[in-house]
Amino acid sequence: MELFLYAACCYLVGVSTFFFPRIYQVEAHYLSNTAALIGSALVTIATGGYYAGSLATDSLKWGTYSLAIDGWSSFFLLLTGIASMITSLYALGYGRSYEGNRLRNLGSNWNLFIVSMVFVLLAGDGFSFLLFWEIMAVASFMLVNHEAYIRTTWNAAYQYLVMTSLGTTFLMIAFLIVGAYSDSYSFVDMAHNSLTPQMAQWVFVTAFLGFALKAGLVPLHIWLPQAHPAAPSHVSALMSGVMLKIALYGFGRFMFSFIPTWSYWWAAVVMLAGAFSAFLGVLYAQMESDIKRVLAYSSVENMGVIFAAFGCGMLLKVTAGGHWYLIAMAAALLHAFNHSIMKVLMFMSAGSIMHGTGSKNLELFGGLARRMPVTAVCTFIGSLALAAIPLTCGFNGEWLALQGFITLARSSSAHDIRLLTAIAMILLGFTGALALGCFVRYFGIAFLGRERSEIAAHAHESDKFMLSAMSISSVLVMAAGIYPMPLMDLVAQAIGANTRMFTANQAMWWGTSAYSPILLLVVLAIVGGVVYLFASTAKYEVKEVTWNCGTDPTARQQYSAIGFSKPVRRAFDYILQPVRQRSYIRKDHAYFGRQLEYKLELPDMISRKLYQPVQKYFVVSSAFLRRLQQGSVRLYVGYVMAAMTVVLIWGAVIK
Amino acid sequence: MEYLVVALMCIVFLQTRFMELRRSTILLGVQSAFIAAACLVIGIAHGGGLHGFLPGILTILVKVIFIPFAILKVVRGLKDEREIISDINVNYSTGVAALALAMSYMIIDRLLPGFEGRDILATAMFMIMTGLALIVMRARAIMQMIGMITMENGIYLLGLIMTEGLPIIIELGVFLDVLIAVVILVILTSRLRLNFSTTDTNVMQKLKG
Repeated sequence: MELFLYAACCYLVGVSTFFFPRIYQVEAHYLSNTAALIGSALVTIATGGYYAGSLATDSLKWGTYSLAIDGWSSFFLLLTGIASMITSLYALGYGRSYEGNRLRNLGSNWNLFIVSMVFVLLAGDGFSFLLFWEIMAVASFMLVNHEAYIRTTWNAAYQYLVMTSLGTTFLMIAFLIVGAYSDSYSFVDMAHNSLTPQMAQWVFVTAFLGFALKAGLVPLHIWLPQAHPAAPSHVSALMSGVMLKIALYGFGRFMFSFIPTWSYWWAAVVMLAGAFSAFLGVLYAQMESDIKRVLAYSSVENMGVIFAAFGCGMLLKVTAGGHWYLIAMAAALLHAFNHSIMKVLMFMSAGSIMHGTGSKNLELFGGLARRMPVTAVCTFIGSLALAAIPLTCGFNGEWLALQGFITLARSSSAHDIRLLTAIAMILLGFTGALALGCFVRYFGIAFLGRERSEIAAHAHESDKFMLSAMSISSVLVMAAGIYPMPLMDLVAQAIGANTRMFTANQAMWWGTSAYSPILLLVVLAIVGGVVYLFASTAKYEVKEVTWNCGTDPTARQQYSAIGFSKPVRRAFDYILQPVRQRSYIRKDHAYFGRQLEYKLELPDMISRKLYQPVQKYFVVSSAFLRRLQQGSVRLYVGYVMAAMTVVLIWGAVIK
Repeated sequence: MEYLVVALMCIVFLQTRFMELRRSTILLGVQSAFIAAACLVIGIAHGGGLHGFLPGILTILVKVIFIPFAILKVVRGLKDEREIISDINVNYSTGVAALALAMSYMIIDRLLPGFEGRDILATAMFMIMTGLALIVMRARAIMQMIGMITMENGIYLLGLIMTEGLPIIIELGVFLDVLIAVVILVILTSRLRLNFSTTDTNVMQKLKG
């Protein structure tokens, strides 16, 4: 536990770089990010030390405030430590592009953000949890709002602030209800609460709303695709990679410790909310042509998968009993970790593309692989992982999740459960297929083919900090995909499952059967080698420009990003409801000399159907309230008098 | 005591009739003097001594002498203050006062039937309600101040009869409160006059965003 405090000191050094004089802003930048790097390394080491030690619950107390670490939080601490270490390394290079643009704010807020996330995970009581949760929200708001001179950034940041305050409100209610039925607000006491089933339901509803908002589940996700693209890239990496997982941590804390007797409908709600988020998230990701918005929607998708697996685990525990539920819980946790490293990688590579080209519009790129080879390889690995291709870490979690769903379907012959499972499986099937299409499009349009614009032609590779950070996380993605057993041990510890029982009880785990990445790797290597040896076409190969009816192919003959996703857009027309506008700018003849203008808009269905009516209601009702608030002192005193008269008469009548 | 109470009622009714600032202020002083007298009567009934007389003397010093003179000083600066435009008709305020009196008696009969200080209690409540009504129905800052002090006198009377002598520290606190409120209001009134060249509080509606 002392090591965590040393880490906090490191972060505070980073925060204090805010007070550096302006001429030393570059030094401040290096100092703050190095401090964040060292602090995160200390967090990782401390968590490793916790695992190496006796695994006893370690804690620290100051009055009613306390810090504690246990199996559940240690897993997330490890994830936070690793992800923030990598992103801090990346920030050393990426942050330089903000020189002269409030660089010191960026560095100090960055440290504040990481330290608040670490301490949310370490919090041992409700008050410290909420306190650090709010610091986290404020720090991330300031980071999102860093480029406040851009109007959309400013809007996104304030939308994020409003939404996150709403989420915190729900969480406060949840904590206060549990706390009211416990001896104190420390997590140990809150675990021995005397909640009635009635109140437990309310706790579940408020906690789920609060954490789902932070995790970005549909329909509470609307801040996420706005805030992530607006933030600097390393910030979006950490927000997406770690902050969203902290919502899972909090939700798990409530579910496992505070209200461990679950109802059937809770599980169904969590599972369906997750499955629908996964599907809608990836559908919108497919439609976006802003690279960071693609990744942001992909985060919605992956958080959806995680929560669907979590809900599936809850459902298994409620119905089938036994230890079967652990497989789905393991899937949720494993995918949380894997998503964290691969999303960090992808946001860093998106930042690298933005750094090299100065744009984040997919339509302007093309052929970047020639100019940014390292970024291309890293993005390729990240895309494979996000599309859940075997041998990358993205596959393992989703595969386990599907195992969980199959177990659920087989565990019961009740019609309702089978129906739920069928719906969830269909949605997750769509999700997998669409994610594949989405990242084929992402990688193909950006890195392959010909340059679509000048900026792509003049792209340049990033500096060594950024490249090394991306390479490290690519290696991690592959390592976690090929050799996931150590990670799986950590997952098993986090959910309180005995590793040995895990393999004995489920015949579907790595040890004995089904999916063995190493075996797959060996087979693939052998097959690939054989094919290469016997069917090599090197002798007959002639390198030429693609045949194009006698003319040179141009960049305009390639698929555009919008064109690539058109079949999907047509297929899901009913959900997306795109607004197409096509008009002729010039039309000399019916077949040639035409110039078309094509406009496509995808109005977000959820914000139109759900948020805008609410917004309208508030505007209308505040117009009514303005009539009460006339600004006249006499009127206000009149209200007091009326209230007093009513109270007096009421008191007399009741008597 | 009963005579004092009846006189107080008459004075408060008169207060609702007066629209001229000087006369209202003097009437306020008279009203406070009757409160001070009530205070002294109760103090003597409880055996006198320093604690018996101090509240009465303080009332005389603060409410009978200091506050009316402070207000009069402000009023003297407002020579050409003649507008009665935004004030609500006096008859309405007297009507409200009458309603308040009826309501006070009804409420007290219902809440505390057979209470021996029934008239005093009703008067106190009546003063509170009328003071509030004066604040609501008068537009000029000075008249609102007078309403506030009427209300304050009512509260003081209520405290006097219900608790039969408050601890001295609380009474001192109450006096200090009123004093500060009056000082602030006097300053505010002068500022109003400087900025808007009137003490009609309705002009402050312009400040609303």
